Amino acid sequence: MKKRFLSIILASCMSIGLLAGCATTTVEEAGEAAPADAPAATETAAETTDSTTSETLSGEGDQTIHVFLYMQEHEKDIYQKLIDEFVEEHKDQVKEVVFEVTTQDEYNQKMIANMTANDMPDVFYVGPAAVRSYVDNGYVLPLDDYVDADTIGKIWGTTQEIYRYDGTNIGSGSLYAFPKDLSCFAFAYNQDLFDEAGLDYPDPNKPYTYEEFEEVCKALTKDTDGDGEVDQWGVACADQWGMTPILYSNGVKFLNEDMTKVNVANNPQLTEALTFYTDLTRNGLTPSVEQDTALGGYQRWLDGQVAFYACGTWDVAAFMDPNTFPYKWNLCGWPVGPSGDGRSHTWMGSVGYAVSATTEYPDLCAELVAKLSTDEDGQRAVSGITTGASIQLPNIVDLAYGEFKDAVADGTVPYASDVDVIFGYFDNNDHYAAALQEMDYTYNSEWFTPFWSGVFNIKNGDIEVQDYLNQVEPEMQELLDEAIELQNSATK
Amino acid sequence: MAKTKVKVHRSAMAKREERWAWLFIAPPFIGFMLFMAYPIVFALVASTSKWTGVNSLLGNIVGLRNYIKIFSDAKFWKSMATTIIYMIGIPIGMILGMTIAMGLNRKIPGKRALTTMYYVPVVSSLVAVSILWAWVFNYDYGLLNGIYKFLTGAHGPNWLGDEHMVKISMIIFMVWKGLGGTVILYLAGLQNIPRDYYEAAMIDGANGWDKFRNITLPLLSPVTFYVLITSLIGGFQVFVEVQVMTPNGGPNYSSATVVFYLFEKAFTNGQLGYGSAVAVILAIIIFIITAFNFWGQDKWVKTID
Repeated sequence: MKKRFLSIILASCMSIGLLAGCATTTVEEAGEAAPADAPAATETAAETTDSTTSETLSGEGDQTIHVFLYMQEHEKDIYQKLIDEFVEEHKDQVKEVVFEVTTQDEYNQKMIANMTANDMPDVFYVGPAAVRSYVDNGYVLPLDDYVDADTIGKIWGTTQEIYRYDGTNIGSGSLYAFPKDLSCFAFAYNQDLFDEAGLDYPDPNKPYTYEEFEEVCKALTKDTDGDGEVDQWGVACADQWGMTPILYSNGVKFLNEDMTKVNVANNPQLTEALTFYTDLTRNGLTPSVEQDTALGGYQRWLDGQVAFYACGTWDVAAFMDPNTFPYKWNLCGWPVGPSGDGRSHTWMGSVGYAVSATTEYPDLCAELVAKLSTDEDGQRAVSGITTGASIQLPNIVDLAYGEFKDAVADGTVPYASDVDVIFGYFDNNDHYAAALQEMDYTYNSEWFTPFWSGVFNIKNGDIEVQDYLNQVEPEMQELLDEAIELQNSATK
Repeated sequence: MAKTKVKVHRSAMAKREERWAWLFIAPPFIGFMLFMAYPIVFALVASTSKWTGVNSLLGNIVGLRNYIKIFSDAKFWKSMATTIIYMIGIPIGMILGMTIAMGLNRKIPGKRALTTMYYVPVVSSLVAVSILWAWVFNYDYGLLNGIYKFLTGAHGPNWLGDEHMVKISMIIFMVWKGLGGTVILYLAGLQNIPRDYYEAAMIDGANGWDKFRNITLPLLSPVTFYVLITSLIGGFQVFVEVQVMTPNGGPNYSSATVVFYLFEKAFTNGQLGYGSAVAVILAIIIFIITAFNFWGQDKWVKTID
């Protein structure tokens, strides 16, 4: 009897260890390999720091501001300089600015820990999808009262819309964050491979149609070393990021207007576009599903194995670096489907600096985020005008169209010469259009996961497009319902 | 008079000792309350809510709804099934570990070097060796398929990219990773078996198999029991290698484990309440299995006494 009692005690201890352990160890361990929210992080992971770093600067005042962000090492140097300047400018008030930087993977977990402990940093990031819940739960401060309208007016209209919220809708009301960046996911081609194949370069003013794109891809897919196996492909796309621009360019929307219903099973535009997209692989114009598991498209693009690949605004510096990408390349539009509005579409992304609603120094913090977002020297640095490495477009519209474009034209900023493709997407002109993805407006993007993560089954020929869409819709709808429920859950 | 004085003196000392006793008990007790009891209660409460980490925990209590939902949650059951399939590696690891330990238990040259080699994976960072093995398993450029192609001329299997193969790959990795620990434990167990048992058996005319069957195996049973319990518990908690080698949970979610699912729910999709419920269910399952094992140990675990 005694022994049995002991057994139960021991067993309890062991399983209790699990329950308590789950909350702690997994969080730490996962940071090293968690899937990133944006491709920017996965593709430049090598440059990010492994652990949190924080630096402290001293002024003569008594106010301490805690800034908590994620970014890459070389970006950190740029922002560190801005913060140093800020401390210098306000040294009578500020004692120190604690600038803590972590990896993108760990950021959310640390923020949840901060929220749970009611110990929010004064300045932190908020992504488009989080604006509603952060505001509803009272974490972030409206910035309109602290920053003058001129400063707000300098930034891209899109970023103003993303971070405005009136309690019901995004796009109007108070401004809750200043953008760190506004990015877009453009398309690029390897000019050397075009030259070898004797093909004309894509016209930046007239993106390919689906048909034209397929023809070009056929001409660029070949066996270069004559061993009987194809080793150069027309295009490679990551299903999670590179598929959607091709679908959007055929007018696809995954959700209905008010984003409450998933619309994929009965969506002819989607069926058509997804058939086109998966046929690229079925017809051998992209690496096969198996080959893709061995080496992803990004690596194959860097190795010169694929002619077309996606190019985010954050990728430009890397692609212009001959050590990373020793080929000539340029920008072009994603191919346009027959059933859309005739324009090439892609998605945009952004993250913004927000100020904690509980900060003791709202004025100072608001001024700091405005500086981080719109300081001209800072924007010259991140866009490459003064650093030669462009990881984003300037947040200031005038700077982007003026100094930045001039610097691209005269070669000060190493950049693809068809930079107008990116400006086209930002401008929503006659040929190009870009918008945030629907996932950026729902509480989480879980509902989209079953869609993109199963597309390889179509490429493999295990299921047909329409069957796939019929099969995946109920699961997507269920997850969307959950997301809506969480969005509307009781606030703090 | 003197007596009373002594008595008073004693009681002061006893009091002091008692205070010291409390002081010594305090660190583990406070540690337990802070890092075990509190998180457990917190997880239990959270598991009955729609807590997202951002919203109000207590304002979103939904009772047992998360638990009810889990029972019809296909992804949960899929990941649970995968977790259990991975446990095929436990008996394989135990048999291999015992065999290697018996080999190492003889006077052979390079014994220390071999033992160290087997133990290296155990002390290596799980993340680092997972990254390494992701390359070993790589479809086009991996070591395994390189050898396969050299030997057969054909292309090897898609170790991490095929729904079924990925499970086998994970099992291979886990056996490799855990083997050293099992070997060391069995080696210690073997060295604890008194020589005279074998001598007595030899006099009685027992052969090698008889000795293994009737002496080694039963007297190693406490080690086997320990390895089994810890492997089962560890088996339910597999996470890192899955996360590193197949960041999206493998093709059609075929490599995802329960803890992987839990993590994804809680931290990628912001459903900490639901994630907590999954954790509670997992803890209950582990409790039941462990209790069952302890209950059953009388039947097969033998000690020298």
